[in-house]
Amino acid sequence: MTEPSATVYVVDDEPDMRKALERLLGAAGFSVQSFPSPEQFLALHDDTLPGCIVLDLALPGLNGLELQQALQAQGSALPIVFLTGRGDIAASVRAMKLGAADFLTKPVDAETLIAAVDAALERNREKRADRSETLLVASRLASLTARERDVFDLIAQGRLNKQIAAEFGTVEQTIKFHRANLMRKLGVRTVADLVRLAERAGTGKPQSD
Amino acid sequence: MAEGRHRLGAAARSGRTDDKPVAAAAAYVIILGVHTNWIHLVWAMMAAASLTLGVVHLVVWFKQRSQHANLIFFALASSVAVFSGFELAIVGAQTPAEHALWLRWAHVPIAAIVVLIVVFIRLYFGVGRLWLAWAAVGFRLLTVLLNFSTGVNINFQEVTTLQHSRFLGEVVSSPIGTLNAWQVVAQVANLLLVAFVVDASVALWRLGDPVSRRRAVVVGGGIVACVVLVVGFALLILSGAVRAPTIMTPGFFVVVAAVGYELSWDLFVAQRTATQLRQSQAELQSSGERFRAVVEAAPNAMLLVDAQGQISLANAQAESLFGLSRDVLVASTVDRLVPKSVRLSHEAYRRGFTAEWRPRAMGLGCDTHALRSDGSQVPVEVFLTPMSGAVPSMILVSIIDISARRLNERRAATQRDEIAHLSRVAMLGELSGSLAHELNQPLAAILSNAEAAQRLLARDPPQIQTVTEILADIVASDRRAGAVIERLRSMLRKEDVKHALLDLNHVAEESLRLMHSDLLDRRVSVDTSFAQNLPPVSGDRVQLQQVMLNLLINGCDAVAGRGREARLHVSSRVTERGGVAIAVSDNGDGIAPQDIERIFEAFVTSKPHGIGLGLSICRSIIEAHGGRLWASNNASRGAALEFELPAEPTEKRA
Repeated sequence: MTEPSATVYVVDDEPDMRKALERLLGAAGFSVQSFPSPEQFLALHDDTLPGCIVLDLALPGLNGLELQQALQAQGSALPIVFLTGRGDIAASVRAMKLGAADFLTKPVDAETLIAAVDAALERNREKRADRSETLLVASRLASLTARERDVFDLIAQGRLNKQIAAEFGTVEQTIKFHRANLMRKLGVRTVADLVRLAERAGTGKPQSD
Repeated sequence: MAEGRHRLGAAARSGRTDDKPVAAAAAYVIILGVHTNWIHLVWAMMAAASLTLGVVHLVVWFKQRSQHANLIFFALASSVAVFSGFELAIVGAQTPAEHALWLRWAHVPIAAIVVLIVVFIRLYFGVGRLWLAWAAVGFRLLTVLLNFSTGVNINFQEVTTLQHSRFLGEVVSSPIGTLNAWQVVAQVANLLLVAFVVDASVALWRLGDPVSRRRAVVVGGGIVACVVLVVGFALLILSGAVRAPTIMTPGFFVVVAAVGYELSWDLFVAQRTATQLRQSQAELQSSGERFRAVVEAAPNAMLLVDAQGQISLANAQAESLFGLSRDVLVASTVDRLVPKSVRLSHEAYRRGFTAEWRPRAMGLGCDTHALRSDGSQVPVEVFLTPMSGAVPSMILVSIIDISARRLNERRAATQRDEIAHLSRVAMLGELSGSLAHELNQPLAAILSNAEAAQRLLARDPPQIQTVTEILADIVASDRRAGAVIERLRSMLRKEDVKHALLDLNHVAEESLRLMHSDLLDRRVSVDTSFAQNLPPVSGDRVQLQQVMLNLLINGCDAVAGRGREARLHVSSRVTERGGVAIAVSDNGDGIAPQDIERIFEAFVTSKPHGIGLGLSICRSIIEAHGGRLWASNNASRGAALEFELPAEPTEKRA
């Protein structure tokens, strides 16, 4: 899968710091785009491109944690590397719980920052890949007929053909037919593959009884 | 009575044997002293009384030679005494020739009496027409001349016979004969005398004061009445209309008594005046002593000084204050007691004081010092009170040694500064996170910049251009970090208060910079509106920044519950009084009206962990700067804390 090159977004209200980070990350070979405030970042960044955010925690107006929440609400895939002037444990715990990629304390040395950014970009890549697979699965699931989808759900729950046929009030042979069809449509060969796909699609509901 | 008459006659006879009539008359008087008949007794008493009075006033004159009236009175009284002797001889005369002779010589004391009356009136009354006086004297002397040159005397051309009659139980002689035509001159002389005395008395009466009026009545009236009576009676006898001896001595004695009374009255008055003078002198002295006692008992050093600055009185407190003994103080001028540096201006000041004569404090608005004998200076407060009515003009100088007060003031100021420092350190503790961040920020930028530079230099080719920019930024960031450290250090340092000219906008901006991270952390947004071209104020930068930080922290606490709405407004303005004011306004819940002053009290706090010193320290700092700090609730929402400092006068800024 060929990806467009990743961008590191730097969001810091301190111009000196912003410029310094821009230079350092730029020198480390990243493509960098910087914003003085979260509001400008939200308005101007392109969500579809790969990348990560290096975000100052203490910002006027919308602060770092609030930007994180806003991005999460948008379903953004951009991982966040937080930078903070002080080791604020409560804030770092909250940030990590919300899925922050890393939480670094200023002054940060280049190795640590670059490593954190690399990791964040890797995570973004995975996330993006993951997301595209999920999209593929969803589109394949969408191609099933309603009966095939019902059969898929019950197979994913671990029912046998005979049990499914009894539930639908039909013969086992009909179920076998649907099963062959849907497995072909979904591109899976074994039941184990089918269950994994169901899990990714989030449809695999555990049996309550 | 028969023996009396016989003896009188014998005496008269023996007197006649003497060639010198005046001496004979004197002898007669002495001989008369032993007789007991009435005329002799009364006349002798009158003569003796006159002489006694005369001698008394002679003594007075000896004591006070300027009192010519007393000397004249002595002469007058003596003349009357002498005349009384002649008169006794006249009334006791046995032959017409004897009578005529005694009468002729009697005119000498009469003339003396008249002249002395005129001189006395002139001297004693100080009024009277001079020409009348000269005329009366002139005619009287002419009378004496005619008395010895015409007839047997001025009264008679010749005395033919003597008629004897009884008077006061005694046989007396009355002359019968032809009158001297020149007698009219004597009458003119008498008239002129009366005219002069009346005129002088009227003039004296008109002066109007009670003493002059009394003199005019007693002396003038007495003389006129007696002269009129005596002359009238004499004329009646001489003209033969009345058969009686001429009796003039009682009249003259009345004159002597009247004048003597008046002079004695003067003596009495003089005595009374002397007593009063002594009394008032004693009072003056005792009031002077009282004044000295009051000055001595005063708790302050006191000096009595004249317009030239010469000290005339000093108390014990002044001795100990200046370290100089009373004798030395009284021998000096006040200029010696002021420090040399202000001596010249002090002289000018002293002249200014004597020009405008009213009580006032000295050296208002600046420190006044007293110079001690050991050369040290003592801070003093001086109050000057002119002594009203004192001649020459005196100033009572009260000097209070205020070194103890100054020391207390200094201690209080030191204590205030120490508490201010402690509360500043505590406040910086509160802000430490924020301050660390302020310091961290440039350090972080420096590290990142430096590491970026390392990478850029490692490239092939090295990106020198960017590295140059980076180095410039590193220098700027380092300076910024240094400035933060310097601000922190000056806030933490316990230094003496240093007053400098400050722009309060700058102080406020600096404080906001120090608070930057804290404000971000607390999610408090701050907007500012600073008046441009504020006049500078004189103050201690660190202390004023402390006040500013306190107000900002206070505002942050006030809006703590407002979430995203929390907002502070910092503004500066020039006040109506020309001072500079800075206000920190919040949009919190405001201050309860009963607390609007209480918040400035020490140990009053609304914060669970505060010690409640912040605002009370702020107020004492601002007041020590000559300004004021107050709180008020905003019309819309929240409260404002504002302080005002006096602007530095333009001329001092140069």
